Amino acid sequence: MKKIITISLLSLLSTAAMGASFLDSVNRTKWGDLDVVWIEDNKFPRFNAAIYFQDGSLSDPFSGLTQGTFDQISSGTSKESEREISEFFDFYGADLKHTVTHEYSVYSVQGLTKDIGPVMGKVCELFSDAQYPQKELVSYVSRSKSRLKNLVTSHSALADRIFRQISLTETPYAVPVEGTLATFDKLNPVGLKERLSELNNAKKVLYLTGPSDIKKLEEVITKKCNWTAKSSYKNLVLKKPSSQSAIYLIPVPGANQAQIRIGRYVIPDEIKGKYDHFSFLAGFLGGGFTSKLVQELRVKRGLTYSAGAYVSMQRDYGRAGIMTFSKNESAAEAISIIRDIFQDVTAKKFTPEEFKHQQGHQIGGFSFTFEETHAFLSQIMLYDHQQRDLKELVNYPELIASLTPEALSQANLEAFPWERLTIVVVGDKSLEKSLSRIRPVRILNYQDYL
Amino acid sequence: MKFWLVLFALLMGCSSVTEKKTLSENIHIDVEELKLDNGLTALIVRNPKLPIFSLQLFYKVGGKNEVPGITGASHFLEHMMFKGAKKYGKSTMDFIIEGSGGSTNAYTTNDQTVYYENLPSTQLEKILDIESDRMENLLLDEDDFNKEREVVLEERKMRYENSPRGQLYLEMMQTLYKGTPYGRSVIGDIPDLKSVSREQIFKYFKRFYAPNNATLILVGDVDISEAKSIIKEKFGKISSSPSVEEAHKELKEEDFAPKWTIHQTLAKKGESPNPLFMLAFPTYKAGHPKGYSLDVLSSIIGSGKSASLINQYILIEKPIATSMYSAHQSLEKSGFFFVGGELVRGVKLPEFREDLIKRLGGFCDSEITERNIQKVKNNYLTGLYGGLDTNAGLGSFLGERQLIFNDWRFYKKELDMYEGVTVNDVKAVCKEAFSKPSVFVSVWNMHK
Repeated sequence: MKKIITISLLSLLSTAAMGASFLDSVNRTKWGDLDVVWIEDNKFPRFNAAIYFQDGSLSDPFSGLTQGTFDQISSGTSKESEREISEFFDFYGADLKHTVTHEYSVYSVQGLTKDIGPVMGKVCELFSDAQYPQKELVSYVSRSKSRLKNLVTSHSALADRIFRQISLTETPYAVPVEGTLATFDKLNPVGLKERLSELNNAKKVLYLTGPSDIKKLEEVITKKCNWTAKSSYKNLVLKKPSSQSAIYLIPVPGANQAQIRIGRYVIPDEIKGKYDHFSFLAGFLGGGFTSKLVQELRVKRGLTYSAGAYVSMQRDYGRAGIMTFSKNESAAEAISIIRDIFQDVTAKKFTPEEFKHQQGHQIGGFSFTFEETHAFLSQIMLYDHQQRDLKELVNYPELIASLTPEALSQANLEAFPWERLTIVVVGDKSLEKSLSRIRPVRILNYQDYL
Repeated sequence: MKFWLVLFALLMGCSSVTEKKTLSENIHIDVEELKLDNGLTALIVRNPKLPIFSLQLFYKVGGKNEVPGITGASHFLEHMMFKGAKKYGKSTMDFIIEGSGGSTNAYTTNDQTVYYENLPSTQLEKILDIESDRMENLLLDEDDFNKEREVVLEERKMRYENSPRGQLYLEMMQTLYKGTPYGRSVIGDIPDLKSVSREQIFKYFKRFYAPNNATLILVGDVDISEAKSIIKEKFGKISSSPSVEEAHKELKEEDFAPKWTIHQTLAKKGESPNPLFMLAFPTYKAGHPKGYSLDVLSSIIGSGKSASLINQYILIEKPIATSMYSAHQSLEKSGFFFVGGELVRGVKLPEFREDLIKRLGGFCDSEITERNIQKVKNNYLTGLYGGLDTNAGLGSFLGERQLIFNDWRFYKKELDMYEGVTVNDVKAVCKEAFSKPSVFVSVWNMHK
């Protein structure tokens, strides 16, 4: 095994040089109040524009307002109906998407370069003139409620939603971005227009990629979008998560598998300056077939089909977690094994080969970061939001190469201290008995989390 | 620098273009072909942008090649192929690939099984050695086999028993293709998965996993002459399967045609508080000229916010559905057109089904317009670019065509077909498809 996991210094140097050259291709400029980051990409005659708003659902007076503002932005302007607007974008083959997180929101548009003028012009019209007609809003609320009530059809999605609410309890990040059954009815045209106005005044950055003629977009954006950057980001300070003493079991009908979520929220002070340590840890525990979790749970014992780990950050909070599932009869065993893995990694009970293997995995895979320009830009967007130096991104292989087993062990201890981890299991009610051997079990009703 | 994909000014859409060229003339992919004496086909595309490449090994074997008793064999083998072969030993493959920064996985469909790896360019020889090793000398260790059986059963639960949407798709396929090879479950029936033996799977492996039933695709930063030479060295010595051709010949197209002649309705109990449904009509196999018009039809009525189904069932004051979609699925031996979605509670399924079939018929006159067809073509183009953006995406694009049509260049014919689709073509297939008997399947927790 040793032969295949030696990290070549030459490969390190070449990846670092490649990263630096990609960084050189990132251009930053300003169009009026709008910051612009763009990378020229001539592979295809298409563009990708992602507008980052430094404003997310934390500003919502009730759950789902920002999400609704973006979801319904194309439901009608003073000149055009929802149908006319959709017809316009569909005709041009423009793909519109949006993502709302607690701290920021992104509206992205992808289309053919030759159509960038009319497509982005129409996007600007939406942001400056969306009316949120009542009739379309009623339909949206009805659909949203119906979909949410049906979330029980996906035990995995249900587990994710409940895990957030429980593991982040007492923080504003516990509130679901997408809205709740209790808050959808609060949406109204006036509130949505006011929220859109706030978003129009929030700091924004346009992340753009495509052939060089996409720069003609400047005129469209500065003349039509009426965007300013009056408001700024309000930082939040969270206290460290407290100890956990229970397993939360959420029974769902007809479950023959148990969805397992284990983790906690993380505050910036815990991660600052050590992003690479935690990223390495996540890969070591659950990044790929050779990770600890997959080897122990799937390969050695056949308990699950998949298992993953993550340690991710926005700006003022992050999350460290494990996600997997197992048969009802082996759910408790799976949790115990995960606990043992944490203990072993903290106690440095892993071989030098396992450690070097993960280094090889993360360093060798670095080149893939740059394969899709828009994906690379998304990564830059996240770094910008976190206020991190992009040099950290291009120096990632070197940072990983310099890590020690002690750093991995310490990162595991800090990210996954067993007594502070929330455990959520979505599955059959009969699991109560076996789970109680690990921690006292609290049974919750899934409908309370919709 | 000579780029691997040459694109010129494009015609579709509505901007002014001075020089007229067809879409297939605009898209040229520089592919190097290699055919070994044992039947292996290899396609290589050089893309030196980054020091990485994608390898895909397409085997012409899937659910349709299985028989009762060994349903799920192709998928089970998909798992076992990662468990080791003679030269590299047990469970080393994942470590070699991931340890060098790569990733690997596989998928199985009714018609094919595809193994793929994305790796740094330095690993070319190693991965070709590994792939040839498992093609020639798969271990199929008994202990691993039995352990993996449990993993496959868990995967089946995840995809079907615990997923009302998966359950819906499975029921639809089993009803639509009842009594044909497409009516079997790709992941396998539970009794078969529990009882199938290592020997049965090994026999199946020896018949289908051979060079004369495989296409190897390489896309990325590889030296073409070096790649060809390694492929010849590693794969050239593997014997071809003497019985695989016969196995394919045994599968007659008529054996895949749906066997029923009247409308079929199936209501299955499942854990979905909202009714989920699929309505399917039999159509044509992959490559049939009418298939391209059916693809356009499915986009007009079901893709994008302005699609007919979305406007008539969702974006209304009292929505009938929370999601609706349609697609035309072209399989190697058959095809079907389907509409599906999630309805709101309170909708009466028999009335909804009747209304939907009536409206679909109505769409043939009201929705098939020049503008709607142009809209679909524009969307196809943006989707095409997205699909070809990565080494893996381009590899998959070529491999699919090579496997189904025995010619990767078939994409040019397909592009011409799409470009040539007219209002009359789509109206004709619309009327033909929706006048046929259909299958309506629903999954709901209120069903008995």
